[in-house]
Amino acid sequence: MDPRTLPQQIVNGVLLGTIYALIALGYTMVYGVLKLINFAHGEVFMLGAYGALFTSWMLGFGPEGTRTQSSPVVLLLMLLGAMTVCGLAAVIIERFGYRPLRNSPRIASLITAIGLSLLLQYGGQIFILNGSPQTIKAEANPYRGEIPISLRAGDKVALADAEKLQPGIEIARAAFVEQLKHEKSEFDLSPKGEAIKKVRDDLEQTYTDKVNKANEKAVNVLLPKGGLLMLGATLVIMACLWFLVKHTRKGRAMRAVSHDFQASSLMGVNVDSIVTFTFILGSVLAGAGAMMYATFLPGTKIDTFFGMAPGLKAFTAAVLGGIGNIPGAVLGGLLMGVAENLVVWAGYDNYRDAIAFVILIVVLLFRPGGILGSSKVEKV
Amino acid sequence: MIFASRRALSICIAIALCVLLQAGIRSFSDYVHTLIMLAGLYVTLAVSLNLINGITGQFSIGHAAFYQVGAYTAGVLAAKVHPAVSQLIWYVPLAMILSAVAAAIAGFVVGLPSLRLKGDYLAIVTMGFGQIISIIARNQEALGKAYGISVNPKQQMIWLVWLLAVICIAVSRNLLKNVHGLTFLAVREDEVASSAMGVNVTRVKVTAFVLGSAFAGAAGALFAHGVGFVSPDAFAMDVSFIILTMVVLGGTGSITGSTIAAVLLFYIPEKMRDLTSMKVGMLLSIVIALVFVVAVVKRVLDHYHGTLLKKAGIIVGSILVGLAIISVLKKPLSSVPALGTIVEGSKMRMVVFAVTLVILMLLRPQGMFAQHEFSWRWLQSLLQRFKRKKVGVPA
Repeated sequence: MDPRTLPQQIVNGVLLGTIYALIALGYTMVYGVLKLINFAHGEVFMLGAYGALFTSWMLGFGPEGTRTQSSPVVLLLMLLGAMTVCGLAAVIIERFGYRPLRNSPRIASLITAIGLSLLLQYGGQIFILNGSPQTIKAEANPYRGEIPISLRAGDKVALADAEKLQPGIEIARAAFVEQLKHEKSEFDLSPKGEAIKKVRDDLEQTYTDKVNKANEKAVNVLLPKGGLLMLGATLVIMACLWFLVKHTRKGRAMRAVSHDFQASSLMGVNVDSIVTFTFILGSVLAGAGAMMYATFLPGTKIDTFFGMAPGLKAFTAAVLGGIGNIPGAVLGGLLMGVAENLVVWAGYDNYRDAIAFVILIVVLLFRPGGILGSSKVEKV
Repeated sequence: MIFASRRALSICIAIALCVLLQAGIRSFSDYVHTLIMLAGLYVTLAVSLNLINGITGQFSIGHAAFYQVGAYTAGVLAAKVHPAVSQLIWYVPLAMILSAVAAAIAGFVVGLPSLRLKGDYLAIVTMGFGQIISIIARNQEALGKAYGISVNPKQQMIWLVWLLAVICIAVSRNLLKNVHGLTFLAVREDEVASSAMGVNVTRVKVTAFVLGSAFAGAAGALFAHGVGFVSPDAFAMDVSFIILTMVVLGGTGSITGSTIAAVLLFYIPEKMRDLTSMKVGMLLSIVIALVFVVAVVKRVLDHYHGTLLKKAGIIVGSILVGLAIISVLKKPLSSVPALGTIVEGSKMRMVVFAVTLVILMLLRPQGMFAQHEFSWRWLQSLLQRFKRKKVGVPA
């Protein structure tokens, strides 16, 4: 509960939240048109991550790959790979899983969704050879490193005081390097060498201590470059989505279908194609999210159960923002990401997965419509 | 009179079977004992979930959580009591009852707030509660964190397990036959209408939750004592889904269906552990054939208006074509290098469940038995019809 790490955790939360927002959009849009919770959406996300992984392998970042230099084109291709895989998966799932059941009770579709989700998780275990979790190589991401931003500087006088040691350290280092030339090896020093080494180490230690003391009250935030790119890309994607839904024929048809399924089909909207389109749109967003999650959050392990936790959290985000509501999904996603990181910040690292369910239950019990949704009471 | 004697007969047969089961399998190996015990536990779990999902029409997918609460209660109890007490013969039944009470309390806590929710939202919330319970168990020092706790005494009481199953079936069945049960069915059919007719919907739902979770908790206690060890992995989300599959396959609402499906779905995947490994190409050809057969059967069931015989003919024909597809495709597919790798049979367990769920929903959403039940009267009428046919009297 160190207040100085709070800004960093919030930044991490927002970055994670953008991914949740991308997945949540898929849940919300499908719920909007079909009133169906697409349980398999988390698994579509998982497939997207595999799509990105295999694309990176094809581009030479595989386990035996030797490429170390990446470029934005590589990232773009990985994004395309992930999106294509997700779009195809969505078409297949919708056509063979959900469409035959459209006139059955909703529970039937829900059970099918659970079945599909299990099928993809465990069936994937069979088909993905070499079952151990994989990671996308860090080299595939050309934008590594972090941009430090100082929110509150340290004690400037003390820092300047510490900087005065810098010339001395330089001299000691140079002297040590010079001495090394006369030594047998770095680990077997003569008394003179030892003495020089000791002086150098002492100076460096004093310098570090002074800087640490001066920075005791400083608040720094590290912005990962990849994360910033992720944020930017997500904003662009969301702007495109907004335009698509609000200002195109397809978007108008989507809104009509989500408003009234039957009436819109009577008005000449091809409901089947709109439903398929919505599925593809939502899944492509999940694919983009999966690629960015797996590439820009280092150390992400991909296995066939990869989609479950993000999927459930994104679902919570969709409910939190008001299911069926597109801005709500984005807001909910960001809040979920921040909430999760706040739990970590508070020291309950093990409970970071539980917070999603706690939020979900509380929201459903007290405001089932979500933050931005209408909280109308169902009468009959 | 006949009614009373029939009922007495049923009860006697059931209890006798439990005792005979315990006596009869003494010569078998430990493995078989564990299997029979687990089958009985799954019957209890499926029938108790059927009480919530089938009879009351709610949709809970977090049943393993109550099972877990029961098992952990038994585990903690066993660690707390004096060893001399836990060696007594009545200790395990007592622990079972206490665990049932603990799980019932958990069921009350979950059931009461989730009344406001319906359908898929209720499903998600029950799953959420299940996850929270599992995360708590994973992180509490007293509950052994991820390693779990060992339970003393390790005692496989197969008669008790099956007796519990019988009691669970009897409670469900009797509930359906009396006036209290009618309110459950009314809530399933139409909540608003039944509340207008004076049914206390809240009470009915909470009762169903509490009863169902109490039985699951009792099963959990017997599991803990039967295996001698509880760990969070034994109650992961798949267990909930397995129980759900049993209920759905048997026919939501049918006690007979849940019982039979529980035994079948427990037994078949166990058998599949010995399944020979096969190549990915073979698997792929099976998948293609399955998709074809399901598509044809679905179409026949939905749109074809021929006689029953013709329908059956087409279905059998499509299955034959499916087999032909497998035999034609398996050679060329397996010869593709990437598809020639071998898959272990034991990995297919959960896949079978998943495929069962999806195919079932596509072809027969009401399940094997729909809402029919086994009864003596049904057996009698069947016998009579058979006799008439033999004598040649027109029905």
